[in-house]
Amino acid sequence: MSWRDAGPPAALVVIFVVFAALSSQFRSIDNVQNIMDAAAVLAVVTCGITFVLMMGSIDLSAAGVMGASALTVSLLVANNRNDNDLGILAIGVAVLVGAGFGCVSGLALVFLKVPSFMATLGVSAVGLGVATLMFAGVQPNISDAMLKSWAIERFLGFSHLTWIAAACLVVGWLIQRYTRLGRYAFAIGGAEEVLTLSGVRVQPYKIAVFTLAGAFYGLGGVMVTSQLGAGLVQAGDGYDFSAITAAVVGGTLLTGGRGGVLHSAVGVLLVVVLTNGLVQVGVSPYWQGGVQGLIVVAAVAAAVIPQRRRNQVVK
Amino acid sequence: MKFTSRPAAALICLSLAAVTVTGCSEEASSGNTAADAGKCEPSEVKLVGQVRNESNPYEAAWLAGGDTFAKSVGLSQERLTYGGDSTKQQEQISQVLAGNTKCLVLNVLPNGDSDTTPIVKGADKAGAYLVTQWNKPADLKPADYDKWLSHITYNGVESGQQIGDALATAIGGSGGIIALQGVLDTAAAKDRYAGLEASLKKNTGMKLLDQQAANFSRAEALAVTKTLLTKHGDKIKGIWAANDDMALGALEALQQAGRAGKVAVVGIDAVPDALTAIKNGSMTATVSSDGPWQGGIGLAIGYCVATGELKVADIAAENRAFFAEQFLISKDNVGDFLQPKTDPADFKCANVFNRVAGSLS
Repeated sequence: MSWRDAGPPAALVVIFVVFAALSSQFRSIDNVQNIMDAAAVLAVVTCGITFVLMMGSIDLSAAGVMGASALTVSLLVANNRNDNDLGILAIGVAVLVGAGFGCVSGLALVFLKVPSFMATLGVSAVGLGVATLMFAGVQPNISDAMLKSWAIERFLGFSHLTWIAAACLVVGWLIQRYTRLGRYAFAIGGAEEVLTLSGVRVQPYKIAVFTLAGAFYGLGGVMVTSQLGAGLVQAGDGYDFSAITAAVVGGTLLTGGRGGVLHSAVGVLLVVVLTNGLVQVGVSPYWQGGVQGLIVVAAVAAAVIPQRRRNQVVK
Repeated sequence: MKFTSRPAAALICLSLAAVTVTGCSEEASSGNTAADAGKCEPSEVKLVGQVRNESNPYEAAWLAGGDTFAKSVGLSQERLTYGGDSTKQQEQISQVLAGNTKCLVLNVLPNGDSDTTPIVKGADKAGAYLVTQWNKPADLKPADYDKWLSHITYNGVESGQQIGDALATAIGGSGGIIALQGVLDTAAAKDRYAGLEASLKKNTGMKLLDQQAANFSRAEALAVTKTLLTKHGDKIKGIWAANDDMALGALEALQQAGRAGKVAVVGIDAVPDALTAIKNGSMTATVSSDGPWQGGIGLAIGYCVATGELKVADIAAENRAFFAEQFLISKDNVGDFLQPKTDPADFKCANVFNRVAGSLS
C-alpha cells in the first residue's frame, strides 16, 4: 500500500474514534465482536465483487445468486421440507451453484457481448426466479447442527462466520497477489488493450473472474442461511449495492485497475461501523439513512482526492 | 427513407403487432361495457388473483385460498405475480383487461396506494368486477364506482396495540422493550407503531428503550437487534416487531446472544414460522389477517355479484370499504391457525361481509 491508499483506513480510524468518544457502549468488547460478526457476510460478498470491479466490470448479480444458493443449501442440509442431510457437501453444492451463475454472467459478457451491467442484472433475476421455484411457498428451516452453529458458536470471541470471512479475505488476497488470475484481473482493468496486444487471451480470465465472484456470493448465501436459520429468497437483498459501496469506499475504483481485497475489507468495516455506530449513539431511525449516505459520500470523496484523475467513471 | 438495420425492422414489426392487438382489445372491451351486468353463468366467470410474489408464505397462502374458493365453485383461479414492480402490475392488469372482460373477477393486492387508481379506472372502463386489498389513496372510494365492489384493509393501529398489550402482559407489566419498525414511509409501519404508542400509554410500566427501522426484513432485524442487545443489555425484556419476519430475525439474534427464552417477542402477520415459534414458546404473540381468507374473499364477492346472487346496490355503504376482522394469536389458540385453511361457509354470498370490523372512513 502506498500513501495514496491511506485515506480509507484513516477515515475508519476517525469514525471509530468519534463513535467511541460519543458512546461507551460502542467501545465495549461486546460491541466490537458484534461489529465483526455483522461484517462477516458483507466481507465475503465484497471480496467476490472486488475482483469484478478491479477488472473494470460491474456485478449486480449478488442478490439473486445468494438467494439461489441460500435455498439450495437449506434444502440439502437437514431441514423441515425434505429428508436430505448432506451436511458439508450441501455447502459445497451451494457454492458451486453460485460459481455456476457467475460463470453464466461471464459467458454472456464474453460470447454474447452483453455489457456486464445488464448480464449480471439478468443473472440476478434468474437467480431469484430459481430461488422462488425452490421456495415453493414453504420456508425451509434448517436443523443442521453444524450450519446453525456457525452463527452461534464462538472461537476466541468471534463467531465461526467471522473466521470464515477472515479466511475468505486471506484466500482472496492470495489469489489477487500470487495467481495469474488475480494479476490479470488487475491488468484487464488497467489496460485491456495492452494486454491483448501482448498476446494474452483475456476472455477465459474474464469468465474465471465472474465464476470466482459467483462462488463467493454462493458462500455468502450459505452464511446468511446460517444466520437466519432458514433459506430465504431475499437472503441477498441489498448486498449487491452494499458490497459495491463497501468496495468503492475502501478505494477500489469502478474504472478498474486499482484497489483490491484488503482495500475492500477496510471499506466493509467502514460501512458496518457506520451502521452500528449510528444506532449506538442514538441517531433517530428517521435520520439514519440520510446521515449514512452523507458520510459515505464524504468518505469516498476523502479517499479518492489523491486519485481524482483516475476516478473517471463519473467524469 | 430506407431502413437497413435489422433492429429497426424488428421494432416496426413489433409496434405494428402492438397496434393490431390494441385495436382488437378496444373493440372487445367496448362491446362488453354495453353488456348487461350481473347476468353471468357460473361457468362463464373468470377468476384472477394478483399479488406481489409467491416467494413469501403470506402471499403464497393468499393465492392458495383463492384456488380453494375457485375449486369450490368448479372454476380455477388465474394466478398473477408482479414481483413488487408497479409497472409490471399495470401491464398485467391491462393484459387481463384486454381479453374478454364480461364475467371477469379480479382480486388484487395493489403494490402501493397510487397504483390502485389506474387499476380501478381500467377495470371500471372494461367492466370487470374488482376487489382491492390493503392499499388505496384515501380519497378514492369504491362507492363512486359500479364495478369496484369493495376495498378490504386492516386496522394497523389496532394490531400494533394488540401485540403491544400482549407483550406488556408477557413481561409482567413492567420492564424495557425495543421496537423494530417497518419501512418508515409506509402506512402499515406508521399505523402499527401508532398502535404501540397507544399501548405504551396504557401500560405505563412498559418503557420503550429504543426504536429502529429494520424495513420488514428478517436479515436487517437480526443485525439491528444484535446491536440493540449490546447497547441496552439485560434491560431489554421484550421486543415489539412490526411484522413476523422481523420478529423471527430478532429471535435468531437472541439465540446468537445466548438470551433465547429470556426476552418476549411479538410480531404481526402470522407467517408459518412465527406460528411454530409461538407453539414451542419462543415467541409470544402475532396477529393474523388470514391470508387464505383474503385470497378467497375478493373472488367470492366478485363471483356473487357477477352471477347476480348479490346486487351492487344492495351492498351496504360501510361494506364497500372496510377494516376486516383480525385475530390475535397466542399460545392458547395457535393450534387453530397452524394449518392455513379456509372455511367454505365464509365464502357463501350471504356471509361475504361477515368479517367487517369497521367502516373505512
